[in-house]
Amino acid sequence: MQQTIPISDIELEALATRAVGSVYSMMLNEDASQITTTRIDETTGPGGAPSLSLQPSETLIAGSVGFIGKIRGVLYIFMGLSLAEKITGGLLGLDASDLEREENETVNDAIGELTNIIAGAFKTDLNNNGCDCRMTIPSILRGSNYSIESTESALRRTFKIDCDGDTFVIDIIMEEEL
Amino acid sequence: MRVKILTVDDSKTVRIIVRKAFKTFDCDVLEAQNGVEGLAMAAKDTPDIILLDITMPVMDGVEMLTKLKSDPNLKGIPVIMLTAEAGRENVMKIAKIGVRDYIVKPFKEEVLVDKVSRIVDLRPAGDSAPAQKKIDDPIDVLIVEDKPAIIQQIKQGLEHTQWDINGVSSTGEAIDYCQNKVPDCLIVSLSLPSDAAITLYRIVRSNAKTKYLPMFGMSVKTESEEQRRAQQAGFSTIITKPIDFEELEAKIAKAVNLDASGRYFDLSDGFMTVKLPSKCSNTSVNELSAYFKTKTCEAVDNGISNVIFDTQEVEQLNLEVVRLLLQSMRVCNELSLKYALAGSPKIIEESRKFEESKDWEFSESIELARESL
Repeated sequence: MQQTIPISDIELEALATRAVGSVYSMMLNEDASQITTTRIDETTGPGGAPSLSLQPSETLIAGSVGFIGKIRGVLYIFMGLSLAEKITGGLLGLDASDLEREENETVNDAIGELTNIIAGAFKTDLNNNGCDCRMTIPSILRGSNYSIESTESALRRTFKIDCDGDTFVIDIIMEEEL
Repeated sequence: MRVKILTVDDSKTVRIIVRKAFKTFDCDVLEAQNGVEGLAMAAKDTPDIILLDITMPVMDGVEMLTKLKSDPNLKGIPVIMLTAEAGRENVMKIAKIGVRDYIVKPFKEEVLVDKVSRIVDLRPAGDSAPAQKKIDDPIDVLIVEDKPAIIQQIKQGLEHTQWDINGVSSTGEAIDYCQNKVPDCLIVSLSLPSDAAITLYRIVRSNAKTKYLPMFGMSVKTESEEQRRAQQAGFSTIITKPIDFEELEAKIAKAVNLDASGRYFDLSDGFMTVKLPSKCSNTSVNELSAYFKTKTCEAVDNGISNVIFDTQEVEQLNLEVVRLLLQSMRVCNELSLKYALAGSPKIIEESRKFEESKDWEFSESIELARESL
């Protein structure tokens, strides 16, 4: 049976735009007004990472944060390595040459934190709608040509975010705790 | 003393952002990855403030905060929570345990610095031992005044200095200016509408970067009520119009801690020459007097034992100048320094009018004064 959650798709889309916008404007000093959010479903394209249309050779980074409580699930953020490095540089004030000297760990940590911040905004909205839940610590997946599948009973919402040429995907998989 | 900030966060990214935010301040940023490490560092290093994440492995922020507040030695350390979770319930929970403030991620670095600076005394890096600027160094003075003629007048009045005098017409422009570059001194008109000068004063004082910026109020001499309110708000220096530019220059030099001694003292060729200015006002006499002992000690340290008091350019020998010279001669006698006076015929004539100076011997040039020693 397909799940329902107390946030409408419109609210969810607005929440994703707001959360990404605040990270871009506050921590990356970029113009948040350039952000557009598109909901991806079966009719508009493949969900999750495939909607990024990355080159098969490009490393795909997925940051994930789980939430447990009345609603449980996982929020993923998918992006190519080049964008992950750009965001890391922006967050930490590092240029490309600094980043080359850094290890994968630095980019992983920055994307983990980005995911944590966006999941935090999502969790706050859930709490405000009466669905108390707690967040897990972030984790990172690295690789190429992989995708995340959800169980049939879970509700899945995927949003493609475009900001001035940067594209990434927020994928939320959740179900109500019985 | 350097401020110690402890950031407890499992994210290296956040710890780097915190370090970056405070790099221009005189502080040490200590880092811990979880509550257990955080408690250990708090006990070992006694930080002045802790920035604490909530969701962390090993020991989360709420548990660390609870343990911190139950330890008599650590409970006084102020804590700001840095959290990605903004929910009301969450905030209430941590507020009950006892936090000074909280910041929801994402945050602007300026917000973090601002909140920390409200709790601890943050000073710009290097402020503990600043290299003293000299009177002819190019300092930056910002005037906030909606009457362009006054700005122009100040620029003209101080044009003999090397100072960079800039004017803006509103407090908004002044804040923008200070965000780009903190001036060395800020002069704000107290007659700006809607008490804008007092509002600007509060904004400047609440910002860590500008907290210690010397700030003068400027007002028409007769507007005593305006001046009283400004002093109550915290303005310690008021410049009155019409402006006495010599006084203004001296006040700026003092507030910015400029070394103005070069204007009066020259140590060269085995002599210390003390040059009295043409207009010996109270301000300049006091300024010269304040430097005299230090410069005399410097002269002695450099093996100089002869002092020339050059009064050739003094327009009028008044009692203040006579007293200054008497006091300086006394210091010379105490240090066994030989001294001579150089003065114009007019000054020599005037010196005869005072009981204290009627017997002084003057040479008519510095060279002759030097030869007399």
